[in-house]
Amino acid sequence: MGLVDKKLSLRNRNKMLVGVWEDEDALLSATQAVVDKGIHIHDIFTPYPVHGLERIMGVKRSRLARVAFLCGLTGLSLMFLMVWYMYVKDWPVNVGNKPVRFSPSWIPVMFEGTILCTAYGMGIIFFLRNRMLHGIKNDLLDDRQTDDRMIMTIETCEGMDEQGLINLMKEKGAVETREFHNGIQTVI
Amino acid sequence: MGHGHHIEIKQETFLMPSKAKRFTMIMMILGVVLSGIGIATMDRTGTSHNTDNSHSPAKEVTTTESTHEHSVATAAESHDTVNTAGNAEGTHAEAAHAEGTHTEAAHDEGTHAEAAHAEGTHAEAAHAEGTHAEAAHAEGTHAEAAHAEGTHIEGAHDDAHAEHANVDNEDFGPRIEYHAIQKPWTTEIWSNLLVAGYFFTMISLCALFWYTIQYAANAGWSVTIKRVPEAMFTFIPVAFVVVLIALAFGKDDIYHWAHYEHLGLKPGDVGYDAILAGKSAFLNTKMLFIFPTVLIVLWYFFGTRLRALSLKEDNGAKGDVTYFKKSIRFSAAFLVTFGFLISVLAWLFMMSVDAHWYSTIFGVYNFATHWVSSIAFIAVFVIYLKSQGHLALVNKEHQHDLGKFMFAFTVFWAYIWLFQYLLIWYAHIPEEMMYYQIRYENYKSFFLGNFILNFAIPFLFLLMRKAKRSKWVFPVIGSIMIVGHYFDVWFMIMPGIFGPGASIGLFDIGVFLFFAGLFIYWTLNQLQKRGLVAMNHPFIEESVYHDTGI
Repeated sequence: MGLVDKKLSLRNRNKMLVGVWEDEDALLSATQAVVDKGIHIHDIFTPYPVHGLERIMGVKRSRLARVAFLCGLTGLSLMFLMVWYMYVKDWPVNVGNKPVRFSPSWIPVMFEGTILCTAYGMGIIFFLRNRMLHGIKNDLLDDRQTDDRMIMTIETCEGMDEQGLINLMKEKGAVETREFHNGIQTVI
Repeated sequence: MGHGHHIEIKQETFLMPSKAKRFTMIMMILGVVLSGIGIATMDRTGTSHNTDNSHSPAKEVTTTESTHEHSVATAAESHDTVNTAGNAEGTHAEAAHAEGTHTEAAHDEGTHAEAAHAEGTHAEAAHAEGTHAEAAHAEGTHAEAAHAEGTHIEGAHDDAHAEHANVDNEDFGPRIEYHAIQKPWTTEIWSNLLVAGYFFTMISLCALFWYTIQYAANAGWSVTIKRVPEAMFTFIPVAFVVVLIALAFGKDDIYHWAHYEHLGLKPGDVGYDAILAGKSAFLNTKMLFIFPTVLIVLWYFFGTRLRALSLKEDNGAKGDVTYFKKSIRFSAAFLVTFGFLISVLAWLFMMSVDAHWYSTIFGVYNFATHWVSSIAFIAVFVIYLKSQGHLALVNKEHQHDLGKFMFAFTVFWAYIWLFQYLLIWYAHIPEEMMYYQIRYENYKSFFLGNFILNFAIPFLFLLMRKAKRSKWVFPVIGSIMIVGHYFDVWFMIMPGIFGPGASIGLFDIGVFLFFAGLFIYWTLNQLQKRGLVAMNHPFIEESVYHDTGI
């Protein structure tokens, strides 16, 4: 599994059932209903955070914090190496008779380097994993999912009661229902 | 937590359990007993706080700055080696101070000159030992001038120096001498009361700050725990009266500028201090009492208004936002005045102990210290109330956010602490260095312990998500932080007052225990007076359903 996981792309998956909601409360109750039926929800795309959604879906805690820690550690060591090489190894300079070894003046550099690498590392990896980075084909099922619509996707499998699910979505306030297969969406 | 299920918002009342009463009483009694033993066993010869040297009142501990050598060399006019002059000065200091005559000179201008003379004689003695006569002689006047004030920078004594040593009135750079033991033994009592009073005044003020920022930011999550800082803030008058008592009795011994003020020296007088004279428009007794009192009264007024408004809101109708809107206005007014003027307290009470020294970040540093300890107190109170079965509406989410607050401002404190040090370390300007020199040279374990206690331990623990949601981490880490930051305040002034000889004794511990016990008792008592839930606050629903996500 690489950083850009092809399996994460909706194109490389089985047929998807897609439901579109306008209202977050309706979406929450619909999610609860689908989960109660024992159906695994592939993902829900919302233009803003909907509180409580991740708990109902049973989303696992993000591993982004560990990425942040590793990025920070990388930044810290890189900056330490940089200052050590410049200031101790390559060209020691007597600045105000300060010792040519680790001293408080190294701390701001290392601190800033840690922040820089953490921020950029987290940002890049977050967008990468979400297939939102420039150069990766994204899976925007509906342009309005970045504006005012909330979209639920369910991956179908053998023996799934697809019509039943579609009906459930409609019953629970979905304004549109579609299916998505091999990159083509059809309204059903 | 979790959406979908309805949470009923019910009013709760808190009644202080007898166990809590007993606990705080024991803390206070233990505090009184310990400080009583502390006072009883204090050395009353005037060498308080320096138990090692307690039997020789006149024994001096002199710290010699590196630039000090420079000034002496210039004065002597004939020294080619700076280091030798420095050594000569060292010898002189020993010889002159071992004599012990200048113990008398302290409060009197008249005897001043005589003592100076005596010093000169001793300088000669130093010379007889084969060191530099002129250096020592020139120095004699200075050592004396220094003595009158306890902590002294030579640069300030240019005038006197020029007269005696016949050199140009140039800037010699500062020299630091600590005359640790020239204080009456009661100084320890007043300075500890100052630390305790100041710490708890600021803790209470920061509690007010805590809920005013919630108003100003329209924060919803914190409404369920709002009562705790609201109760903490009421301690302000008690703590501030302690500050005033400590200052009324001890200011001349705590602040050498206050003592200098009595001397009434004019330019040209022996012992005239240009730096202290220049600061006298701000650093004077009237300012010391009036400015902070005005500020505290103003802030306490804002606090009581906010409390009254929140009571009216409680008794009013659900959905009535008039009191809430008024509270925002009062909060904003408080925050503006607080933000601009909080540093004044730090300058007057803490920084002026080392009156020749200054640090522009000092006010922020003080604020950081008290702010994070105030949050730690709030967290501990919330956990305590929760453990007693109260605050049913507070859940792990609120606790988690409190933990983030603690964590963030632990880092903030460390940031300010480090950068005050870093800039001074970097620039290496002697008059700035003196603050750290005495602390680092003589109290290395305190200096580093401060950092470990207040940053390393809380940082490593609070970094974990599980810790912020755990029941036991807050009481343990919170207590470490409260003790640590109290020690931080203690450490801000004690080396300045007592020189290298300050130590933590029974009295210091007793004072902390007493005031911590009183503060906890006071807060819990105030919590009894209101329902624990702000029923009619417009954001109470938002707070109840607060969720930080997974």
